[in-house]
Amino acid sequence: MAALGVGAACLLPILFLVIRSEPGRWAAFWRADPGLTGSLAVSLAISTMVALMATAVGWTAGRFVAYHRRRRALLLLAYVPFVISPVVAGVCLLYFYIRIGLSGGVTGVVAAQLLFAMGFAIVFFQGFWNEEKRALEDLARTLGSTPAQIYGRVLLPISRPMLMLCFFQTFLVSWFQYGLTLLIGSGRVRTLPLKVYDYLGEANVAYAALGSCLLVAPAAAVLWGGRWLLARGTRDVS
Amino acid sequence: MSWRDRPALAGFALYLAVALLPLAASLVYGGLYSLGIAGLLAPGATLAYWSRTLSSPELWSALAYSVYIAAAVVGLAVALALTLALLLRDRLGAGWLSGVLLLPMALPGAVAGFVIFQTLTAAGVVGRWVAAAGLPALTNDRPGLGIILAHLLTAVPFFTLLFAQVADSERLTEFTALARTLGAGRVQRLRRVALPLMLRGASSSIWLVFVVVMGSYEIPLLLGRQTPEMISVLALRKYAMYDLTQKPEAFVVAILYTLVTAGLVTLVMAPGDRKGGRAA
Repeated sequence: MAALGVGAACLLPILFLVIRSEPGRWAAFWRADPGLTGSLAVSLAISTMVALMATAVGWTAGRFVAYHRRRRALLLLAYVPFVISPVVAGVCLLYFYIRIGLSGGVTGVVAAQLLFAMGFAIVFFQGFWNEEKRALEDLARTLGSTPAQIYGRVLLPISRPMLMLCFFQTFLVSWFQYGLTLLIGSGRVRTLPLKVYDYLGEANVAYAALGSCLLVAPAAAVLWGGRWLLARGTRDVS
Repeated sequence: MSWRDRPALAGFALYLAVALLPLAASLVYGGLYSLGIAGLLAPGATLAYWSRTLSSPELWSALAYSVYIAAAVVGLAVALALTLALLLRDRLGAGWLSGVLLLPMALPGAVAGFVIFQTLTAAGVVGRWVAAAGLPALTNDRPGLGIILAHLLTAVPFFTLLFAQVADSERLTEFTALARTLGAGRVQRLRRVALPLMLRGASSSIWLVFVVVMGSYEIPLLLGRQTPEMISVLALRKYAMYDLTQKPEAFVVAILYTLVTAGLVTLVMAPGDRKGGRAA
């Protein structure tokens, strides 16, 4: 009974959004505001780029931190972006980005979001790079593998589920970003969260709900995908 | 350095170059701006902006309000999630419930704020009943109930799943069974075994959520009020003002907030990593 209650409570906000978005008129809404498609495309492009780069850097830099004798100090450096609120960081970063010509464009938004996503990815891989992985590397080297072979044939294959999971998580870090995008994008990069806020400002509830559904659907898919990957990883290990 | 560390070193160097360096540079610039050395209308080195901001009740009320909201969210979320995790532990493994619990976590701050706003505002589904009952408004209210509820929407499922995972990894079932064998009662098992194990296992995440809520922006922007306001909202409001003399004060707020949270995270993370580094 308690489980059913909790399940219903979790479903309610999603159902509320779907109902308020008037599903029967989605096609008409979509046609009426082409900006929605543009925002969805920009959001997807930015989040994919951020997730790809953050995962690659997190995988390698995470390994550097995990095996380093000053692991504690380096890990604190990885936590630095967590310390600063994205909006507060955006306030400080904006001038710097204007000076180097990165404000008001997708590149600047990606660079600013990477700042947070990379720190997250490094922390994410701390549990993965352990003594077992080092032993595998050592074994491969003892058997005559070259560095490229160790990376390509040992480390990458065993990292695949974690790489995908990290990609999903960093995708969400970027997908949910609002304040930083608003500041660094200078209002010119209209991602989906900004579009939802525009609709809210116009008291356009149905469009805001539709935009919210578009924001939530990929996020839920990514979270479920991550859960499935984790479950598969656990099954493979056992 | 051995060959195998080179790609890893390159990755970390990239993190330093892309993330930490710009962040450090921008904080230094913010510091210089707040001291009147850099920026628009820079009058030359002065502590006037710092003393004006530090003596303004606006800053301290924003800081206190942010701490209050973060403490309320974390306190309530942890209490609710612990209850749920202990009640539903058997169902939180790979079952449907853990899948459904992921759904609210897919709500970005803006959307969580929107849902709460639409539900609790005076014209909302629940807000109408609240208004009809003569109760105070739940959005844009002084105690920040709307802000707290919007954060709880995502924080409770997150902590529930986290506690369930911690219970598994810390072998809570075995330890409570052992405590029962040794004669511990129900309350003792909860107070002396279950709660310490789960809270200790999740302590870093609890503090990180505290810091994230403290610095949140979208939710208080939509559901909060101007006085008191949360620290991120105050910083951005001062920064975006037409009055350019307010900009240095925005940087003072940003730097103070960063110092507070940096101190907090250092305190929390440093003792948690007692194992230190492994031999390279």
